[in-house]
Amino acid sequence: MERRRARSRAAWRRRRLVLILMSPWLVGFSVFFGYPLVMSAYLSLNHYDLLSAPRWVGLANYRYLFSVDPQTWTAVRNTLWMIGVLVPLQVLSAFGLALMLARARAGVGIFRTIFYLPALAPPVAATLGFVFILNPATGPVNTILSHLGISGPLWFQDPSWSKPSLVMLGIWGVGNTMIIFLAAVLDVPRTLYESAQLDGAGPLQRMRYVTLPSISPVLLFAAVLGVIQGLQYFTQAYVAAGVAAGQASQAADVTAASLGYPLDSTLMYPVLLYQHGFTDFQMGYASAMAMFLFVVSFAVTLTIVLNSRRWVHEAGR
Amino acid sequence: MKRVAMAVALLAVALTAVGVASGAARHRSSPTKLTVWVGWSARELSAFKQLAAEYQKANPGVALNVVGSINDNKIVAAIRAGTAPDVVSSFNSYDVGIYCGTGGWIDLTSLMKGSGISTSMFPATTNYYTQYGGKKCALPLLADTYGLYYNKALFKKAGIAGPPKTIAQLTADAKKLTVRNPDGSLKQVGIDPFIGFYENVPERWILPWGGTYTDSKGKAHLASDSAWGKWLTWQKQLIDWYGYDNLVKFQAGLGDEFSASNAFEVGKVAMNLDGEWRVAFIKAEHPTLDYGTAPMPAANPSLYGSGYINGTIIGIPKNGKHTPQAWNFVKWVTTNTHALAEFSNAIKNVPSTTASTHSKELIPDAHFATFLKIFANPKSGTSPIMASGASYTNLVQNFVTKWQAGQVKNLPGGLSTLDKQLDAQVSQAKGGGVP
Amino acid sequence: MSAAEAAVAPLVRRRPPARVRRKRLLVAVANHSVLVAAALAFLLPFLFITLTALMSNEQALSNHLWPHPFAWHNFHDVFTMPGAHLLRWMANTFEYSVLATLGVVLSSVPVAYALSRLRWRGRDVAFMVVLIALMLPPQVTVVPLYVMWAKFHPFGFNFIGTLWPVIIPNWFGDAFSIFLLRQFFLTIPEEYMDAARVDGCGELRILVTVVSRLAKPAIAAVALFSFLYTFNDFFLPLLYSGESPHHWVLSIGLSEFRSLHQVQWNLTMAATLLVMAPVILLFFLAQRAFVEGVTLTGVKG
Repeated sequence: MERRRARSRAAWRRRRLVLILMSPWLVGFSVFFGYPLVMSAYLSLNHYDLLSAPRWVGLANYRYLFSVDPQTWTAVRNTLWMIGVLVPLQVLSAFGLALMLARARAGVGIFRTIFYLPALAPPVAATLGFVFILNPATGPVNTILSHLGISGPLWFQDPSWSKPSLVMLGIWGVGNTMIIFLAAVLDVPRTLYESAQLDGAGPLQRMRYVTLPSISPVLLFAAVLGVIQGLQYFTQAYVAAGVAAGQASQAADVTAASLGYPLDSTLMYPVLLYQHGFTDFQMGYASAMAMFLFVVSFAVTLTIVLNSRRWVHEAGR
Repeated sequence: MKRVAMAVALLAVALTAVGVASGAARHRSSPTKLTVWVGWSARELSAFKQLAAEYQKANPGVALNVVGSINDNKIVAAIRAGTAPDVVSSFNSYDVGIYCGTGGWIDLTSLMKGSGISTSMFPATTNYYTQYGGKKCALPLLADTYGLYYNKALFKKAGIAGPPKTIAQLTADAKKLTVRNPDGSLKQVGIDPFIGFYENVPERWILPWGGTYTDSKGKAHLASDSAWGKWLTWQKQLIDWYGYDNLVKFQAGLGDEFSASNAFEVGKVAMNLDGEWRVAFIKAEHPTLDYGTAPMPAANPSLYGSGYINGTIIGIPKNGKHTPQAWNFVKWVTTNTHALAEFSNAIKNVPSTTASTHSKELIPDAHFATFLKIFANPKSGTSPIMASGASYTNLVQNFVTKWQAGQVKNLPGGLSTLDKQLDAQVSQAKGGGVP
Repeated sequence: MSAAEAAVAPLVRRRPPARVRRKRLLVAVANHSVLVAAALAFLLPFLFITLTALMSNEQALSNHLWPHPFAWHNFHDVFTMPGAHLLRWMANTFEYSVLATLGVVLSSVPVAYALSRLRWRGRDVAFMVVLIALMLPPQVTVVPLYVMWAKFHPFGFNFIGTLWPVIIPNWFGDAFSIFLLRQFFLTIPEEYMDAARVDGCGELRILVTVVSRLAKPAIAAVALFSFLYTFNDFFLPLLYSGESPHHWVLSIGLSEFRSLHQVQWNLTMAATLLVMAPVILLFFLAQRAFVEGVTLTGVKG
């Protein structure tokens, strides 16, 4: 009898301890995540501009989002494009650089620092720098190209080149991922390579059967991180569009018409959400956009979480 | 330890003494502190601050705190978040539909009646863009008119006698005044019709063509109003003559609009659509520039002499704390003839009351006189005031930028889709959802 | 030779034939040249930014590549330019980063501990929820959060226009830090904890004394990343303090450098360098912590 009471008292004490330790997160999650999520769903069914009370409109916001707003599908396409192009290129370049660093022996430290430094640059600073450097008329890049006889493209002023310019900016900052790949590549035991070599495997086969499987968890991690960041991609697109539009029009105050400059080519979904919610103050409509983003991100997240173990296991053997 | 305690005690006494003294001083005379938000900055802001100082001297019970560089985004954000100032002013009237419609700026009708101010004191166009839905939530504070600036020196060099009056003359002069580099890029441009460049927005260019946005019922009719098709076709032809990429590259290398390297002021652009305030900028930055001002060339001879009008508007945000004092200042700065004339001289904007346009205090200026005439022209017009505020005009601008880039293959079809989108946007702003 | 001796006899490495040696040398040279080319490409933007920062305004607006003369005073003019308040922005940014980082560390460590070293019902579900919260874009909750802060006026205080809405949530746990710390805590052998328990330590004391000391590299990494992330943060500060320049952080101030009356690209580039400087300096001072921290995230992640 005593033991049972002592055990239940101990269990109660442990539960209290867990509660105390988890309390910051529990409060934070409810207040800053759970409640807003529910409110988002509610607001998406209303018309709300923060000046008067929310007015019920049912599914009208969603109807406007999917069939009337001329910019919705452009924004979705742009975000998907960025994810589809930037993430693989970032993973490839990080992996490639890491491989070369792992193979080199002289001056590795210097090279590693050089490749890592751009990742430290604050995104806004890096974006400003790139937009200036890639100014089609007076920027250093086009100036040098013209000395070489090549007429450089209009970079951030050209709708076909603006996203590739953003991709270049993204690859420049790939240092973090590169370090992770470097550690993983260096971690692969030499014995694996040696036994593969003894079995007659050439360099390409060694890559395919030894390197790639061994670093597959890191590959997955980099890809997942890339996709998550792609779904939130805001700062670089917003700043680049604003600055590039300012360059073309040279107007002192840049209006909302510059978001996505040029010609909506850099209009990402989070940027459009920001415009509708915090420039036009259509908060109900922005909440509908947010719910759509939530559904898509949740689906992606669930897929990753449920399959990650399987993907890594299959490759890692 | 004892010494430390003594020092702390002395410090405490000293601080309390200072606190009591300043508190007493504060209680003796506490003027009402009003925060005034304006869009001006630098030179123009100093001019407004001088005006504010004059008001304070005449009204010692009020202390004005003037904040410059305000734009509509800031105003909208502040009103929504409840952090709006006592008096607020905006450079343009685009968001009046939102301000008046939602009550973000209070209705001034009763205040005006109480002070004996009537709308007849202001010119008709300024009345149009300071009210919406029957609520007058703003008053005009000096107005802006737009016309053609042309570089007389470049005109002489190209052998052109005077400024163009028709579209055909404008096109011919623009081509004559354009100089290209040996590699084909642009060195000097006659006139830049690119929407998005400097002051080029659709609503300012469509006026010389006689176009309007909405029909009598308030529905968008860009597809059926032939002026739009004519203007857009002309504009794209001229842009293609320059070469779209050439023009974009040329613009990327130009100086900032409000700097001393302004493209017109340094002679890179021979003609430019600009506002009347440019006269003051040129006087301050390039006093030796040989230039002239004229109304914009018109498609229809009867329209020549008119122009686009807009202007700074001023109002009182809701949830303000010192409405009577705020109204006194607003009333003074918008109707006092001396104040308006003085301010107009300083920043070279058009005076916004009928009385002040005839004030003897106005310094005559040949360049500026053009704009006073345009302001008085009965055919001059302004942007539509819609419930969706500035997003209305942004949607049109987005369409035109796509059109000038050659991304719209079927112009009539594109315009009628645009009409539907504009109407849907208005009804969404009113809170009715999709029609 | 007996079997044992044969087993321990050293492996004699024969010199590989000249053909193989030449091939290996070529590969190494090729590898090195590509590295050099890539390094130049990565350095070039920094070079251009620096050169522009040392030009006069007219030169920056033209296609000159080299400053004539070197305008070192630009780095001073950046602070005195009207409308530019670099020092205030730097102060705001540091205030935000320091307070947020402190909050993240203090609130995430206990949560990570509870999720890794204590057994309780619902623990795995809670961890799954943390993971999901980690992966969802902030835009999903940003609208109602803004409304919440806009309508909350305790004692007449306005949160909108300040950085508090951005700082405060960090004191309630940060999903990424919790995740990282939990992964690390899982690797601590139970013996350390058992030894402390035998000594009579309560769970909380174990956390504070034993675990925190053992997990110092992970906590340092979390603090570093938190600091970096908040130092570079743009979206949330833009949302809440975007319309009140007094509370701008460096990233917003830098992006608005251009629209203040006039764009001076030479000064903007100089300001860009100055904004990059603290982070790069921090890197050189704490290089090992950086690399270890980044590796930790990837390997344990």
